[in-house]
Amino acid sequence: MELEKEQAVVNLVKEAFEDAEADVQRARRVRIKIAPNRVFPLVAFLKANGFNHFVTITAVDWIKDGEIELIYHLWSYTRKVHVMVKTRIPRDGGKMPTLKPLFNQAETYERDVHEFFGVYFEGNEKLDRDFILEDWDGPPPMRKDFDTRRFAAEFYGQEDIESDLLKLKIQPYKGKLMQ
Amino acid sequence: MTGQILWAIFMPILVIIIGLIYMGLARKITARIHNRYGPPFYQNIIDVIKLFSKKDVANHGVMFSLGPVIAVAGMVISLLFIPIGNRPLLSFNGDIIVLLYLLVIAPLGMALGVGEGANPNGAIGIARALTLMLGYEVVLVIAAVAVMIHAGSASFMEIIRQQQGGVAHWFIWPLFLSALATDIALQAILGEKPFDQPIAPHEIASGPMVEYGGKFLGMLQIYHAIAIIVETGIFVNLFLGGGSLVWWFVKSFAVFFVALLINAVMPRFRIGQAFKFYWTYPAAIGLVGLIIVAIT
Amino acid sequence: MAKERPPKGLKGWAQGRSLWILQFCTGCGAVELPPVMTSRYDMERFGITPMATPRQADLLLITGYLTVKTLKRVIRSYEQMGEPKYVIGFGSCTVNGGMYWDSYNTIKRLDLYLPVDLYIAGCMPRPEAIIEAFNRLIEGIKQGKFNGWIRYKENLRWYKRNQAMIMDIRKWSIDKKLAEEVWREVQEERRKIFEQATVPHVYEYAERISEVG
Ligand code: SF4
Repeated sequence: MELEKEQAVVNLVKEAFEDAEADVQRARRVRIKIAPNRVFPLVAFLKANGFNHFVTITAVDWIKDGEIELIYHLWSYTRKVHVMVKTRIPRDGGKMPTLKPLFNQAETYERDVHEFFGVYFEGNEKLDRDFILEDWDGPPPMRKDFDTRRFAAEFYGQEDIESDLLKLKIQPYKGKLMQ
Repeated sequence: MTGQILWAIFMPILVIIIGLIYMGLARKITARIHNRYGPPFYQNIIDVIKLFSKKDVANHGVMFSLGPVIAVAGMVISLLFIPIGNRPLLSFNGDIIVLLYLLVIAPLGMALGVGEGANPNGAIGIARALTLMLGYEVVLVIAAVAVMIHAGSASFMEIIRQQQGGVAHWFIWPLFLSALATDIALQAILGEKPFDQPIAPHEIASGPMVEYGGKFLGMLQIYHAIAIIVETGIFVNLFLGGGSLVWWFVKSFAVFFVALLINAVMPRFRIGQAFKFYWTYPAAIGLVGLIIVAIT
Repeated sequence: MAKERPPKGLKGWAQGRSLWILQFCTGCGAVELPPVMTSRYDMERFGITPMATPRQADLLLITGYLTVKTLKRVIRSYEQMGEPKYVIGFGSCTVNGGMYWDSYNTIKRLDLYLPVDLYIAGCMPRPEAIIEAFNRLIEGIKQGKFNGWIRYKENLRWYKRNQAMIMDIRKWSIDKKLAEEVWREVQEERRKIFEQATVPHVYEYAERISEVG
């Protein structure tokens, strides 16, 4: 049968976690949606079941829903399946427990997400240290309500670059095409 | 006597210019081996002019500025013991042994200067240089002792005198193994690959030179220029029979050329490997050569 | 004190014929340098060789976009170089921001922060363009035309102010006193810019883009 190993992972997760929504996205990709407070036990469970490569943490800013989605990527060398654990927390004042006790590298990824999305990870001690953006006083720059175009124009002193671009109207090409 | 003094003044200048041209030719030849056009042969002279015309650069203290001076001074003194073109300046029985001691002054001067610079890369570089010195000095001394036993003298002039009368009289034939060991040691003395760990621009940012810029770097270039002549000169005098002024430089360039060819195609050893290498193969070759000399 | 001038005559000639570069491999431009160095274009025939440390180098190559974080290191390296020193900016990113013109963390115009002597346009400039730039630089240096480091010293306060607007210069400048002073001056202005950045503009902006088509 196709997608056998993926389905096996889905079944495994569904058995242990009844509140998890798991499905197969495509070959070698499984996604699991779960509530924020259940992420830690789920990842611990996955780690015990062969998912011992913690790849990274990414985040998506769903500004209209007022939520930030965190995605934890894990890979298993034995099962050859990539699992995405997705969870949503409120945009303002949302908190996540740190995964550092499970995977040490989570500390670094969490600092990264914290710096660019302003997510607070409880229990990560290095969170407030400068990581990539040194001496940055502003809002987290990857949030969607951060106006990067205007910020760039003001911060780096480019007054008219934005208006120039908007005035630009691209005309469809009317002449003969080159032979 | 006046002739001697004039020569003593004139000779270091000549040696510096010729040494810089050697370095330029080295770059040119390496470039040709890499299938490039390469810089003109006088490129290093331009470099030195430029370095000396630069404005003041960072200085980290008295010893830091004295380091290159000691290095150059040590090299010039060593130069006086080497008869260039059959013109001895300081020649007596035992001058080879004195020279072997003097050769150590220059790296030590550098070590003192670099120490004050307090750059970790410089410290690593100088540590490597001294380790490497420990490696090749043993080989060099073993080979030199073989030559001294064979000639029954410890004076350069006497050794050169015994080699007069054509190629067949050169010591490189009876003392082939010692010559081979010396040539391998020369690769490290000249700081060419695979034994350029002290400089290693890709690992430790040019090692001892890391904090030096401008005029200091110019001094170091001059130091290197003299060093090339002194070091190839030892080989020429011990094994290739000296020679008249032009002939002497031709021979010394030939020795340098061999080192260059190896340099152009080799990667670099780790310092531990280099050290181990010197205390095994070249040392063994040198010892066999010494035993053969001692028996015959 | 007499006004400083770039070297001419023998000094200028030697300076031009023996440029030692400090490659600060930022951005995409660094990949264009290996072809310039190796057998096809061979920059060593003009006496240009890469050097390992800023203390030994005369020419700073900024090969592409610079994030603020990198700019700090670049400025530190530039200030450590011995005079006379020159800067070449590679690619449109150093001219006006290039394709990163709206990025929040790359600088847009390099010459606000460092005195650039020569720009090479293009994204990325071909090795031919780089060789051409080197040739012009060499010719210019021989005639004493380029004076970037003198401009930097004379307008140090202006440069430091520009730098302070985007980064904490106190750690990264050699002149600590001036840095401290300038840094205090620009605090107010910086704060204002950062505060305004939170005002949401996204939706409006998306609509405008669809208008433009
Ligand atoms: S100009 Fe183009 S090639 Fe150069 S750094 Fe910018 S984007 Fe990259």
